[in-house]
Amino acid sequence: MRDGLLDPRAVLLHESAADRAAAIRRCGRALADVGAVAEPYVEAMLERERSISTYVGEGVAIPHGTNASKDDVLRDAICVVRFPAGVDWDGEHVTLCVGIAAKNDGHVPLLAALAEILLDPERARALREATKVSQVMKELTV
Amino acid sequence: MAGIDSTDIHKIIVACDAGMGSSVMLASQLKKQLKGTGVIVEHTPVNSIPDDADVVLCHAGLAARAKAAAPGKVLVPFQIFLGDPAVTRLVNTIKNGGTVDA
Repeated sequence: MRDGLLDPRAVLLHESAADRAAAIRRCGRALADVGAVAEPYVEAMLERERSISTYVGEGVAIPHGTNASKDDVLRDAICVVRFPAGVDWDGEHVTLCVGIAAKNDGHVPLLAALAEILLDPERARALREATKVSQVMKELTV
Repeated sequence: MAGIDSTDIHKIIVACDAGMGSSVMLASQLKKQLKGTGVIVEHTPVNSIPDDADVVLCHAGLAARAKAAAPGKVLVPFQIFLGDPAVTRLVNTIKNGGTVDA
């Protein structure tokens, strides 16, 4: 995997959010905090979510920005934010967000790995219930 | 467009708004499922679907935009990013032969 794509500081396992917008803002802030995106990207993530939900199944959503917001991506990066109490995601129950900032294809292998995990209910559960940053890093980095 | 015969499908584009999230995930799965068939799978933003695409897969919510951006292409809309029946049908048609309806 490319260096720095998933910064351990962007793996937050004990967060809570009142609603979907708050959860997305939390993901956006995590990406901003590691220097991956400029501030306006967070609004673009909310805008993107309003058009089509980024829920991908197994309690996981993958919020990200719009095509127009790629200028606010400073480098390809991923954040993993866990909401143990869950967030109502337009009717779905989400406990894990994998936030994405990408200009290029640096994150493709990680998303491919995530797809594999989500198609295996046991591995999906292990990822959702991970309480250690190292577990998450191990699951997602190929 | 009436549809396309499976033997005429050489390139599939998975399109979404930004081409950085869910389309990437679906494209990676599709690539794996079509391994060995010689069919190329790529993901792009809906505004930059290449001319040589034979089939365009996109979320139902983006179908109108995809149609406008790539008129005349066979468009297969889906609802869910992993395990959608429309995608399974497309894979089966490519592997077993048949026609993909526009």
